[in-house]
Amino acid sequence: MNAVLSKPWLRLAIGLVAPALLLIWWQWQASSGDVRSIAFAPLGSIGGAFLELVENGSLVSDMVSTLSRSLTGLVIGGALGIAVGVAMAIWRPLDRLLGPLLHAIRQVPLIGWLPLLGLWFGTGQGSELIVVSLSAFFPTMLNSYEGVAGVEQRYLDVGRIYGFGAFQRFRLILLPAAMPLILTGLTQALAFAWIASIATEILLGIGSGLGVTMQLAQTQQRIDIILVTVIATAILGFAVNYLFRQLRISLLRWQPASL
Amino acid sequence: MRAGLVRSGGVHPSGVSALLAPFVLLALWQLACLTGLFPPQVLVPPSEVARTLASMAASGELERHIGESLFRLGVGYVLGAAAGLAFGTTIALSRLAEAALSPLFMALWQVPVIAFVPMLVIFLGIDEPFKVAIVALAAFFPVALATFDGVRGVPRAWFEVARVYRTRLADLVWRILVPATVPAVLTGLRVAITRAWIVLVAAELLAADSGIGQMMEMGRQLFRIDVVLAGVVVSGVIGFALDRGAKAIERRATRWRTA
Repeated sequence: MNAVLSKPWLRLAIGLVAPALLLIWWQWQASSGDVRSIAFAPLGSIGGAFLELVENGSLVSDMVSTLSRSLTGLVIGGALGIAVGVAMAIWRPLDRLLGPLLHAIRQVPLIGWLPLLGLWFGTGQGSELIVVSLSAFFPTMLNSYEGVAGVEQRYLDVGRIYGFGAFQRFRLILLPAAMPLILTGLTQALAFAWIASIATEILLGIGSGLGVTMQLAQTQQRIDIILVTVIATAILGFAVNYLFRQLRISLLRWQPASL
Repeated sequence: MRAGLVRSGGVHPSGVSALLAPFVLLALWQLACLTGLFPPQVLVPPSEVARTLASMAASGELERHIGESLFRLGVGYVLGAAAGLAFGTTIALSRLAEAALSPLFMALWQVPVIAFVPMLVIFLGIDEPFKVAIVALAAFFPVALATFDGVRGVPRAWFEVARVYRTRLADLVWRILVPATVPAVLTGLRVAITRAWIVLVAAELLAADSGIGQMMEMGRQLFRIDVVLAGVVVSGVIGFALDRGAKAIERRATRWRTA
């Protein structure tokens, strides 16, 4: 058995059995003529929907707008998260002041803020971007805080011996030491921002984006379009997270222990 | 003696300030509303939110929403976690099952759970089965992954010892596998319950006739900012309680490890 599994192509073949069975079952459901078969679009029409979405360009433009929404949220939430997290770790009074508020906000499922933000800013792109930014803010803030607060005392001692000023201590000791955790925070933030983008797009259904198209397709009972966008979501999410992880590894190559 | 008392008072400033901070926060919020900094259409004071919560509790409305939400959470979570446990154990113990099922599992795992919402709505409608299914799905993935890691992490030597002692399968599971995997599995179960709660609130925002999410969405549509804020508070408290409760169980169950 182990000999069989050690051959990569056989392993791949075994791994493809379950998806193939799923597709056959799906096709069988779609063509059974049952009442429920309306929900199952035949495989051919899913391929057709894919070609249709590619040809009219909406698949690409949806991917671009969801991705740019996530990245904008990541930049806003991530920058604020690093700033607030580092500031709270360096200056304790700020921690006492902001900490309880931020931790209270964090308890509420982020999507739960959507109705309130909808009342304040309208159910538009603004509310969407705030939720996405918030979802990127918290992991970055928490990890940056941990990174700076957990700097080893001996590094700080060395800095004191060299007579570092506050800025030098920050630039030469705190920031490099906290960098692995800050990047971990940003990696988590990207995944959160991605999910929050899809979620807010589904919930608000405005503008364009993969979630918007999914939601629209649901009201039109177009399972073929839903499946194409779900698959696009999975592939794009995987690719972006993979690239980001590679970036993190190359940024941190000076610190093999943290990988 | 006096010095000792004074010092013991000063040792726990963090404990006192941790208790104090929420009150300061509430006081500032109340003050901001009383001074007219925020008009009541934008932000209502905490006293107003408390009054709304009290009146909703008195009419039984709050209890109904919380009850419905927790019921869906409970049923979906038990189903999803049980499936995750079974699936994770299976692919961890059998290399063949891993080769056959993990590619499909990993592909599905790339899809944010929320992106399954439009598809599930088409298949299951917007009633209870849909909400239970989305909660189960949200709980399934973290539990399955954590169980897989936990079971795979059991040292081979332990299995070899079991073989030497000719341990029966039931004993192998009950006396070796379960204790060795409990910490990882409990972490997975905790992550799963918080994710499941977030996804449920999102699903209720989208489509429900009751539940905390629906309460907030209805409040938004009626421009009842007090109801929305009450929902934010309740969903935050429930999320917090679920996380803390799961952490407490985790600590209790893994106490023997440090002892």
